[in-house]
Amino acid sequence: MSSKLEILNALKLSALMNHPMPSIEVAPRLENLVGQFETNLNAVAGTLHKEGGIKALQAKVDELIAQGLQVISLVEGVTANREMPPTAHELKDIDYAVIPGEIGVAENGAIWVNNKNLGHRVTPFICENLILALPTNKIVPTLHQAAKEITLASGEFGVFIAGPSKTADIEQALVVGAHGACSSNVYLL
Amino acid sequence: MAYQHNHGAVGSQVHAHKADIFCRDETRVDWHSKALWTLREKRDRAAGSIPEWEQLRQLGSDIKLHTLTNLAQYLEIFEQNCLANGIKVHWARDGAEHNRIVHDILSSHKVKKLVKSKSMLTEECHLNPYLEQRGIEVIDTDLGERIIQLAKMPPSHIVVPAIHMKKEEVGDLFHEKLGTKAGASDPLYLTRAARAHLRQQFLSADAAMTGVNMAIADKGAVVVCTNEGNADMGANLPKLQLHSMGIDKVVPDVDSAAVLLRTLARNATGQPVTTYSAFYRGPQPEGEMHIIIVDNGRTEMLKDKILAESLKCIRCGGCLNTCPVYRRSGGYSYNYTIPGPIGIAVGAKLDDTNSIAWACTLCGSCTYICPTKVPLDKIIFHHRRLKAEAGQLPYGKNGYMPLVGKFMASPTMLNCSMSMARTALRILPGSLLKPFSGAWGKYRELPVAPNSSFEAWFKQHRSL
Repeated sequence: MSSKLEILNALKLSALMNHPMPSIEVAPRLENLVGQFETNLNAVAGTLHKEGGIKALQAKVDELIAQGLQVISLVEGVTANREMPPTAHELKDIDYAVIPGEIGVAENGAIWVNNKNLGHRVTPFICENLILALPTNKIVPTLHQAAKEITLASGEFGVFIAGPSKTADIEQALVVGAHGACSSNVYLL
Repeated sequence: MAYQHNHGAVGSQVHAHKADIFCRDETRVDWHSKALWTLREKRDRAAGSIPEWEQLRQLGSDIKLHTLTNLAQYLEIFEQNCLANGIKVHWARDGAEHNRIVHDILSSHKVKKLVKSKSMLTEECHLNPYLEQRGIEVIDTDLGERIIQLAKMPPSHIVVPAIHMKKEEVGDLFHEKLGTKAGASDPLYLTRAARAHLRQQFLSADAAMTGVNMAIADKGAVVVCTNEGNADMGANLPKLQLHSMGIDKVVPDVDSAAVLLRTLARNATGQPVTTYSAFYRGPQPEGEMHIIIVDNGRTEMLKDKILAESLKCIRCGGCLNTCPVYRRSGGYSYNYTIPGPIGIAVGAKLDDTNSIAWACTLCGSCTYICPTKVPLDKIIFHHRRLKAEAGQLPYGKNGYMPLVGKFMASPTMLNCSMSMARTALRILPGSLLKPFSGAWGKYRELPVAPNSSFEAWFKQHRSL
């Protein structure tokens, strides 16, 4: 008998009585979504730029390039100085990656990103610093609403990113910049 | 070296003995307890900041219970959808089979170096030594896991695995293994050194492996949560990715996963969500993705309706942080990979010292903060009953508990002996009585004896 069949057969001996699936209806807090988002993004060590939209973002990218940094942009209308390389490993010296976020979550500062907009899946993790561009009207109150809107087709990869990478594994001291990006800036479009 | 400090990491000894070893260094115990309590306080603030917290706990419990009661069906749906997404699915009855499957996949791809992110399941299966014995280099990439891997120690906590180590010890360890400056112990400096070291590992790995926080049945996708980004750095660089999951990880849909994601990090560290909550619904282009679904005792637990509820656990570690016994006895005192209340719930059966079910005051704090309402104190109490029924009581309880039972069952014998005890406490010197109190009296003073029993006091006063 295959292991799968053995496990499925063993499950027939479960002592648990059938338990109904609950309906998930949690009242959202709709007031001041941008304000909620900013508070929580700050709490996860990210920074929000509310004014200036794509122009402010391009100005920031120009400034970074002028400093001699390697910047790659996947946001339409924002030009940088690096092309997407053929292999993921070649992204290892990217200082800043600028990528489009699809949905912002007000309750936790997270932003949904889909691999269609990443070039390689590893882009938002391997870059030293991350910049996300998010349409203001795409901020939803909680993960319950985000769950309804995220795109994740068959074969795809997607991720909620809440601020820069961090760890507190040495004596509970918070250090921003573990393995992923060391900073996270969000520009509202 | 300091980090080789004896925490009783190896060998089975009763919990009280191992706790004794941990408690020799009082300053360290105080620090350990306080560090974990800080996490508990952060958790309280995070939970208190969303008014629907209790509703989310109930939803989490209901969703997990519903899935567990229809597990065979959800696992089959999950598998079918994974296959449709180009994911290869394997089933393993136990740890040994899991390890064989993983090794077969890795060796067929000639993998020499595997980067791993945190997975309590692979710890449970002892995967690392199995692969290392077969010539595969295994690099744990979570910072805490890397620290204890370099120190050759098991995790002492399921979320913060190196919580028992001081930064000076990590500094000494990194100096020896990674060439950091001698005596340097600044967490920022040490973390940056680990980042540089592990970047090289990510970039040179042949395959990556992660655990699974939730497996989404109707999508055929797995969700992996980290703060450091190590799981996603790993899984998205080499072309081969493996994910191991217990059969209990499956949930019906993304809506269910969202409920659990809302409580997981809040209950673990007080963050509103983990930095990265990654959804893998297929391999990268020209890549290969494998999921290994593991039983390893879980279907056995489902046969007991009280033990079954421990499978609702989402491994947030909140119950460890709040536990007064864990905080003061350390993660190495439990004779199981997972310590603390949830470690007792899922590990007591395998404990050959039969003592860890008693590493609990039954205060119930764990149950009250659990995000999926696992009735931990009830499960732990149930384990004690199972041990008693099997004649496997620890600490000599097999000998004296039947006697205690007889005394407690007879009012005459109980009243008579209690009266003798009260008199003895009043007239005899403590030094003469203390030996009779056994282990209880080791760290406690004998009580001051009241003049009469509560029963006598009650009879005298109830007419008032």
